[in-house]
Formats: sequence, structure tokens, C-alpha cells
Amino acid sequence: MKAKIVNKGQLSGLLDKLAKDYDLVAPVKEETITLFKKISSAQDAFLDYTNSDVSPKGCFLPQSEKIFSYTYTGDSLEIVKPESAKKTVLFGARPCDIKAITTLDPVFEGEKFGDEFYSSKRENTVIIGLSCSKVLSTCFCYAFGGGPCDGTGSDLLFTEIGDKYYVEINTDKGQALVDANSQFFSSESTDQLAKDKEELAKKLAGEFVKKVDLTGVKELLDSDFELAYWDEDPYKKCIGCGTCTYVCPTCHCFDIFDFTTGDITGDRIRCWDSCMYPEYTLMAGGHNPRPTRKERIRNRFMHKLKYHLDRYNMVGCVGCGRCIRKCPVNIDITKIINDLKEVAQNA
Amino acid sequence: MMNLTKQIREQAKKLLEEKKVDLVIGFGQGTELARTTPVFIDSPEGVSALTWGPFCANNLAKYLVDYKNAPGNVAIVVKGCDSRSVIRLLDDNQISRDKIVVIGVPCAGQLEWQKVADEVKPDATLKETVDNGDSFVVKTSTGDHTFNKKDYMLHRCLVCENPNPVIADFTIGEELPVKNYAERFAEVEELEQLGLEEKSAYWDKQFSRCLRCYACRNVCSVCTCELCVFDQMKPMWVSKRTNLSENTVFHITRAFHVAGRCVDCGECDRVCPMDIPIRKLNQKIHKDLKDLFDSPTPGSKEGLLSALGEFSLGDPEEFM
Repeated sequence: MKAKIVNKGQLSGLLDKLAKDYDLVAPVKEETITLFKKISSAQDAFLDYTNSDVSPKGCFLPQSEKIFSYTYTGDSLEIVKPESAKKTVLFGARPCDIKAITTLDPVFEGEKFGDEFYSSKRENTVIIGLSCSKVLSTCFCYAFGGGPCDGTGSDLLFTEIGDKYYVEINTDKGQALVDANSQFFSSESTDQLAKDKEELAKKLAGEFVKKVDLTGVKELLDSDFELAYWDEDPYKKCIGCGTCTYVCPTCHCFDIFDFTTGDITGDRIRCWDSCMYPEYTLMAGGHNPRPTRKERIRNRFMHKLKYHLDRYNMVGCVGCGRCIRKCPVNIDITKIINDLKEVAQNA
Repeated sequence: MMNLTKQIREQAKKLLEEKKVDLVIGFGQGTELARTTPVFIDSPEGVSALTWGPFCANNLAKYLVDYKNAPGNVAIVVKGCDSRSVIRLLDDNQISRDKIVVIGVPCAGQLEWQKVADEVKPDATLKETVDNGDSFVVKTSTGDHTFNKKDYMLHRCLVCENPNPVIADFTIGEELPVKNYAERFAEVEELEQLGLEEKSAYWDKQFSRCLRCYACRNVCSVCTCELCVFDQMKPMWVSKRTNLSENTVFHITRAFHVAGRCVDCGECDRVCPMDIPIRKLNQKIHKDLKDLFDSPTPGSKEGLLSALGEFSLGDPEEFM
């Protein structure tokens, strides 16, 4: 694998250059909240974070996105498509969030249902990851094959080691960015940093607190849709908000509707939707196949632990732990997984 | 606080054994050291899941609405602030008094779990919590930690009107004195000092972050409409599109819809994943209601009419 080094003193120069050449999206801090936003200079980036409050999935699937605008003039309908995706760099995303993007890819870039809005952004974006330096009590990326220093899905992966960043070049896209900005990348030997990175990865791997055991869970969910478990605790305490789905880096449900002003001019909008909301499955005739929180909770966890696997052979969770931290009533997916494992064992 | 936990369990057990209630809703240990989670106990053997301490931030009263048409009675564990919700739910005819049993626990304040988690080793487990007046001692498997209330309590607990439940069938432990660590409306007064444009800029910045997850609405004990205007599809008063305009309509409408009924429990602030200071909107309304009508905090006494549901000839009407 090819690698380079960026000295910390060079980082702001690199980011300023990227901000000039691309739309640069990076973590920023707004009061107490860390989220990803377009920045115009290196000083706006906030890299001293553990896990952002909202994931960077909005880079590819914005919470609200205009699909087209329309104007009806009486005898004709004029449709205006939005500008195509700009060349973008997503900088400083954590490994779990980048892995999450790879779980969205088959949904939006499948052969059957390609999504031009997603794929044009995906094609035009270079993803630069940033290894974690700390493991939170809610983290469990290891359970799904990820890791705090895992480069899966990234074009470049930066790992902070002392006063340097060890930069792994994972794709041609990443290589091209390095070549075009070679003045910021040192060509000194990377052997020592490669070893240091391995040490760091090993150290962090030992710091996970959440123990997750998926043994038998998928098989159990395959075998019984009406498990008695879903009648138990989790749905009773769920307050039915959409927090877990909106902070989740892999949730990708959306709704499409027209936002019309009086004179038949308007925008067709796609925006995030949440399976936790009662109107999510509400049919035109008034029937709702998921009438209570029980069915909705079941759906969310079935989607993460079964449906996504069935369809794409990937777990629909990357272990970022956001839903655990943000749930108002402490519904914890790791507890649900472990509970289901118990149910499977005792079956 | 182990003693209080024991007493809550005993009370719950008695109620379930004597078939006075079919369900007890209380706090149980959560999956993080400094968190609890709502638990629903339906058998005397299950009461060992109940706990008490400075991590019982949730207002459980809203769950009573879920059981209003269920057979049998429900007991609920409430703090002082939560008990105001119980009164409001009764006054709004959302629940009936003879179906609920209120287990009130005088509350010495609630700690912000993330602040505590930041200082305790991630793999530590909770052994015991002790209230020392101006601080809590949290004893864990990896050592003891002292958390000053002023610095670690939930913001809403810095000013507490009712440490003791205002409605309770059973009170657990001793009543506590009212103790405040800040001025109730200090932050609202600070905002009031800003010019129009500055105020607008302040709230624009807050509302533009909103994810429209509706956690603030769903957790709110006085948001009890069966079909909320924000969930309505036809007509779609507010669209799902997130932008400053739609987000602002949501927040302002929500705040005004609970005006005069909001019990100031602060749950909206606690649950917001984007740390939008939602409670400040309602605090402004509380302050105005106090200034204009000398209204007590809704829910703080049984049988109070809501300020907007009551007319008196002496009401000020400068704008007419």
C-alpha cells in the first residue's frame, strides 16, 4: 500500500488549497454540536472531535434536496434540473461513517435502481478519512468488522501520530489528489509511522466497552417475524421520535413531495424520512401496516440486522453509537442484539 | 440513595402484590453508567429492576397517556417537576385520577449524563450514589467521583421550584428544601436585552440546526394531540423539507401550542440531539405569563386553570 506523510504544520495549507479547488466539507463546531459543513478555510475545521453529532451522510444524501423546479405557464410545463454535483472533498470523516457510506452505495448505485442524485455526488467526491484517537463508551464498530483506524471506503486515510499525519493512499482518486497537491505531502520514509499506526490500532481495539455478540441473531430474525421479544420493553419506552434514524449514518429512507406555491411554481423535494414516524407507512386509504411503535421498532432493528444483510450482504449498522448516545430513553442497539442472542440461545 | 431505591421497590412490590396496580413505570439502570432507562414492571418479582439516583432525568408522566385506555391501574415514579405533568394531564382530562397511583420521590437534582461519562472510565460500573448537599458522590468500580451540582446538574435543575412532588399518593424519603443555583429567568432576560436583529440572528442559528426529529414534541408531557399538525399530510401545514423557514414555523408553533400548559420540566432541552435551547422559548412565555397575569407554573397546584384558558376582568390588555 502506498503512503505519505503530512506534517501538522502543512495541514492548514493543504486544507486552504482544497477549499480553493473543491467544495471542502469538514467537521465544524457550532456551540456544543459537531457537524459536517462546507468550509472556506482551514481555520473553520474542527478536528479535535471523537464522533460528530450528525454523520456526514448528508454529503451524498442531503436532508432536503431539490430534484427539480417546475413552472406551469398555462400551456406548458417547464422543468429545471439543479446544477450537477460539484467537485467535493469530504475531509475528516471517521472510519465508521465512511464504512456507512459503503452500505448506502448498493442502495443508490444498484444496477436496478440507480440514483443519479446520489451517484453524481459520490463520483465527484474524494473522501479523506481521519482515524479515531479515542474510543467512546458507546462505540462498537469492531462488531461489524470496522475499526478506529480502518480505511474501508476512504480514498485517503489520515492517522494522527505525534506531530505528523500518516496518510494511506487507498484509491486512484486519492492518489490523484496527492499528486495534484504534492507540495504538502512529505516524501520521507513512512516505515516508522506505518508501525506506529498499527500499534495505535491495536491499542484502540482493546478499549471497546460495548460487548456485542451477533451469534444466531440473523437466523433468529429469519425464522420468526412475530418474536415475543418485540412485545417487551423497547417499544414501550420508545417515544417515537426520529432521532435515532436522523443521526444514523446508514439510515437512508426518504420521502418525495412537491413544494408548490400558489401560481403552480415549485420544487420537487426529496428529504429524509423516518420509519419511527406513524405516517411513514400510512396508506392513501388510511390503513397503516405498522400501526404502533411495536411494529416500527421491530422494523428499524430488522432493517439493521436482517433486511440490509438479505439485500446487500452487509449489516445495516456500523457501530458508531450515535443512536445510543442520542436516544432520549436509552434504547441501546447493542442491548437489543445481545437480548436477541439470548433469545436465540434459549430457543 | 440506595435506601430510597429500596423503598421505591418495596412500595412498587406492595402495590403489585395487592393488585392495586397492574403496572409500575419507573427508572431502571441504563446501558451507560450514568444513565437510567424507563422500565415497565408488571410483577412483584420484577421490582428489583427499579432504581433511584441523580441519573433519573426522564419525565415518565407522558407514558400515562399510553395506558389511559388500557385495563387496570398504573403506578408511576415521579420527581417534583414530573409531578407537575401529572397534574396537567389530569387537568387536560388525558388521564383519570382513579387509574393512577403516584409514587413521588423528592429530588436532589439530576446530573447531565454525558458530563459525568466524560470523567468516569468507560468500563466502570456504578456502585452507589450519595447526595452531599451541594454535590453528588458517584461511587464506581474504578473509584469515587464528586460532582458539584452547580457544574454538573442538568441546566433545568439549577433553578428548581418543586424538589418535592406536588401530587403523590406515596412519598418516598424526606422532603427536601428548595435550593437554587441561578436566577430563574436570567437567560431570558439576557435575550430580551438584544435588539430585534440580534434576537433573530440568535434563533436563526439555533433553528437552522434542527433535524426535525420531533423528540422535543414527543417527549413533551403536554403535547397530547392524537394527530399533530406536523404529522398531518392533508393539508400539509408544515412540510418535511428542512430549512430555516419551516424549522422556525415548527419551533414557534410548538412553543405557543403549549403556552400556559408547559410545566417547565425541561425535557425538550434534554432530548434535543442538536442542543437547541428549546426551553428558552417556553421560559419567555412563562416569564410573560408571570409578569402579565401573575400565573403560577402550570401544574404546580391541583385545579389551576391554564392562563390562556381563563379570563378575568382584571387581565391587562394594552394591545386592544
